[in-house]
Amino acid sequence: MLQAHSPLWHYLWVAPNLLLLILALVIWREKLHKRYSVFLFFAVVTAIEQLTVYVADVLPSVSPVAWYHIFGGGLLVEALLKFALIGQIFGILLGTYPSLAKFGKLLTTGVGVALVLLASVVAAYTPKNNIYWIVSGVHVFEQTIYLIECGLILFLFGFAGYFKLRWSRPAFGITLGLGISACVHLATWAMMANPDFSALYHVSLVFLNMATYQVCVLIWFYYLLVPQKSVTTSAVFLPENNLDIWNRELERLLQQ
Amino acid sequence: MNLAIVLVTAAVLALGMILRLAVTQSLQAKRSASLAGAIRPIDIEAFRNLTDPAEESYLRHRLPPAQFRAVRRERLRAMAAYVYIVGSNAAVLVRVGETARATGDARLAEAAQQLVNDALLLRRNAHVALARIYLALAWPNSDFAAVRVVERYEHLSGAAMLLGRLQNPAVPVRLSA
Repeated sequence: MLQAHSPLWHYLWVAPNLLLLILALVIWREKLHKRYSVFLFFAVVTAIEQLTVYVADVLPSVSPVAWYHIFGGGLLVEALLKFALIGQIFGILLGTYPSLAKFGKLLTTGVGVALVLLASVVAAYTPKNNIYWIVSGVHVFEQTIYLIECGLILFLFGFAGYFKLRWSRPAFGITLGLGISACVHLATWAMMANPDFSALYHVSLVFLNMATYQVCVLIWFYYLLVPQKSVTTSAVFLPENNLDIWNRELERLLQQ
Repeated sequence: MNLAIVLVTAAVLALGMILRLAVTQSLQAKRSASLAGAIRPIDIEAFRNLTDPAEESYLRHRLPPAQFRAVRRERLRAMAAYVYIVGSNAAVLVRVGETARATGDARLAEAAQQLVNDALLLRRNAHVALARIYLALAWPNSDFAAVRVVERYEHLSGAAMLLGRLQNPAVPVRLSA
């Protein structure tokens, strides 16, 4: 069952990408693409890229080295789109909070630079797991991308949590899916980039990656297409108090 | 091998934190009933006294250096406790403002938005002030000012009062003791 080119392997590679294309279509029809344009672009391009890599994998005429070139190229495009998507989500999150926009942007840039430096150091210390540079290079590249992505999403959730910011449902779902995917992929690619683990668990790790991706696509479906339950919010009352004393105190302070 | 183990551990921890933060944030959106009780009034006069540069200068000139450092550390610890509460109150007020916005009452929306923005600024300032206080704890002779936090808190209290009045004119609002 857990073998390359088994029915489950074909299903896990193809199905999430077809689902992603369907999701993109529904997003377009529901006019969600106006607000989540990068996600729509990401869904279409990633699905096509993954299906291209799949076709290249099953076609006997494509050599392993050529396949790795296709895979590496697709990976680069996917990475750029993911970072653009994270940027758009951050923009959406901070859009309703102008008082935090500048500070948030500054902090994100700092965290991003720190993560790039960290990922570069980690990549430099990662041992080669294959005699072909393209194979080990792609593995290290995956590890580097997911390390940065994982850090950025963790920061995004931490920032929103610290300031108690309110997420829009689709933005929350997209970020959650990306976060789960990034963490699991970071762990698996860190193992695959290491020769000791790669030899033992390569196929199992590939299956874990594909299954996680399937779950993430379903999370995106749920958060983007299932409407939020309407919660009746009653008025919030602040604690009972002595407003007259506070008023006098405020006036005194303002006059200083 | 070691690097891979470190990265796998980091990824698992990050996944745990992301899931925890995600669950906390989705629960937070649903809970609003107990918000009011979470606001802790603070004695703004005592806080202003602690942050007063004249008071600081007086102590510096009157006390021997070693004693001044000890007193200053005590004052900084007290200041940190106040700023921490100010930051916590600001977080509660962000949620109060958000909940008020979610009611869909156009009359409240503007005041709620103002409250949220002020509370966010205050939380940010409180965070920065706390960092500076802890830095000053390490170097008690350095100059330090938390005046902006006081100013922001005063401004925020005004916004909270306005929102409180709009929501329930009969019930007044207190953020400071």
